[in-house]
Amino acid sequence: MDIPAMRANFAKAAAHGDQVPLWFYSHLFLSHPETRELFPVSMAHQRDRLFAALGQVVARVDDLDTLVPILQQLGRDHRKFGTVAAHYPAVGASLLATLEHFDDEWDDALAASWAEAYELIAQVMVKAADESTDQPPWWDAEVVDHDRRTLDVAVLKLAPRTPVEYLPGQALSVETELRPRLWRWYSPANAPRPDGMLELHVKARDGGPVSSALVRQVQKGDAVRLGPPVGHLALDTGSERDLLLVAGGTGLAPVKAIIDQVARQGPPRRVDLFVGSRTEDAFYDRADLRRLAQELPWLTVTLAVSHDKTSSLEHGDIGDVVLRHGPWANRDAYVAGNPATVEDTVTRLHHHGLPMGRIRTEVFAASRPSPTVDGKVTE
Amino acid sequence: MTTSTPTAGDGERLTPDVVRDVRFTHGTMLHPGYTDTEVDAFVDRVSSELDRLTLENAQLREQLHRLEQQLAAAANRPSPSDQAVGILATAQLTADQYVAEAEAFSRQMTSEARLHYEEQLSRAREKAGAIIQAAQEAGVRISSGRSTPEVSAQPATEDLEEQVAYLRAFGQACRTQLRSYLEALLADVETEWGRAHPAALPEPPRGGRVPRQLRAAQASFHSNEAADDVAEQQPRTGVPAGTGSTATT
Repeated sequence: MDIPAMRANFAKAAAHGDQVPLWFYSHLFLSHPETRELFPVSMAHQRDRLFAALGQVVARVDDLDTLVPILQQLGRDHRKFGTVAAHYPAVGASLLATLEHFDDEWDDALAASWAEAYELIAQVMVKAADESTDQPPWWDAEVVDHDRRTLDVAVLKLAPRTPVEYLPGQALSVETELRPRLWRWYSPANAPRPDGMLELHVKARDGGPVSSALVRQVQKGDAVRLGPPVGHLALDTGSERDLLLVAGGTGLAPVKAIIDQVARQGPPRRVDLFVGSRTEDAFYDRADLRRLAQELPWLTVTLAVSHDKTSSLEHGDIGDVVLRHGPWANRDAYVAGNPATVEDTVTRLHHHGLPMGRIRTEVFAASRPSPTVDGKVTE
Repeated sequence: MTTSTPTAGDGERLTPDVVRDVRFTHGTMLHPGYTDTEVDAFVDRVSSELDRLTLENAQLREQLHRLEQQLAAAANRPSPSDQAVGILATAQLTADQYVAEAEAFSRQMTSEARLHYEEQLSRAREKAGAIIQAAQEAGVRISSGRSTPEVSAQPATEDLEEQVAYLRAFGQACRTQLRSYLEALLADVETEWGRAHPAALPEPPRGGRVPRQLRAAQASFHSNEAADDVAEQQPRTGVPAGTGSTATT
């Protein structure tokens, strides 16, 4: 395998931008029409993702320690898309055809290198997918409750047909029948329960096809599919430190799951939760937070608004409000919310004296239907 | 000649072992060597077997060639022409564009709707706040300001006094209406609901009061008139009912 030559070849293709994945998918769908139904109607985001993923692979092809886990995760995660081992050669053929099409100096040696590399990639992915057959590729679930809390936020209760195993704080990908082949990440707001029920907090993003459908169109009784869990916010069970939880918007969901886990499994400790929002009206889960604060003596809940002069709650950016209530230097911190909130809060907490190793974060950003290296969750 | 006789029946296939093991019987003193008929028969058999094998070989070769061609065609299948790829790519881009436009439109609509909603809400809040504040100020000024009447404040004070008087009356009216509404409710409850479903009532824990409460729901249909009156007055004056009662106390 001539890695420098492959990198040079990939760079030539990458210089053509969107044309390259466009050509690749057109080639794939023409030569194997049966693969078309694995993809959504609009391929725009899919094209970005394919070449982002390929770029990652090419960049790390000589660093197998990093690359292999990424490929394994990709392989496992592709099961929910309906990908089977038989699809891999088809993709490989079209990939080679594409790389050839955009390179005038393509030769047999290059073809052999790419074929060998692709074979390896496919092997790792297929093997990881095969090894995870103890899990179903996806879980079918029914919406048993749909509660539209504000203009933009709904709380959904889902009953999976078979229990989904996940860690509190992790996220699952969700697909609704209303938007086939579009998967988005959402964090359950509870630890796994004996009855398997999941609570999702969904904020409709303006123009977001999946989130809008989940908030405004999905009804009780509708079916959704759930993909395997990912995420980095899971509670560090090796630590017994008191917790500081900070959430912005629907970032509340994973930290609520952590509270649920502490309540169910312990060990007992102090937990201080801070929830931030622009306006007071936007707190969509206030009643339940009040109930939790009453039932759990070790929990305090502080709500803060950043853009609501008339509110009687605390004012300020959530990171600022958190620091006012310090000191927190001895805590384990879990922060979830939009990118700006998370970054601001983490910076403040770090300056405050909390080591970065004890701050865990989950960024809720725009849709991320397929896992990236940092596994982003949908707001 | 052994069991595998060279002249064995034609039905039996000639195998290398048969050829290797063939034994011919020796001739007589007059005809030394192998028996001619046996050798002739065996040669016949060998030649026909060779014919058959040659034919079969040719057939197999042809079949192999055909299969090789199919395989090559299958391997070359993912070679749609550049033109075809180009056409599909264009179609896909067109579809992507339509989806993107629909999403952009939806984004615009929802964000505008939200802005509108927030604007309306904050305007309504401001209005309500201003009214309450004005009423409170008026209250303070009326109770304290009468001793120091300023010339410029005179018309305003009169205005406010008028308003307060109106509010007081309004509050009174609201109370009266509410009271009669509630009484009507309770009366209805007792006559209608309880009589219709006496069995459905739980054990009254506190004597006769419980049925009245339980039956409150239905009576609202009969007392809509009173409720409408209240609702109608509010927009006309722009004074929430709560303010009215504050002013009277």
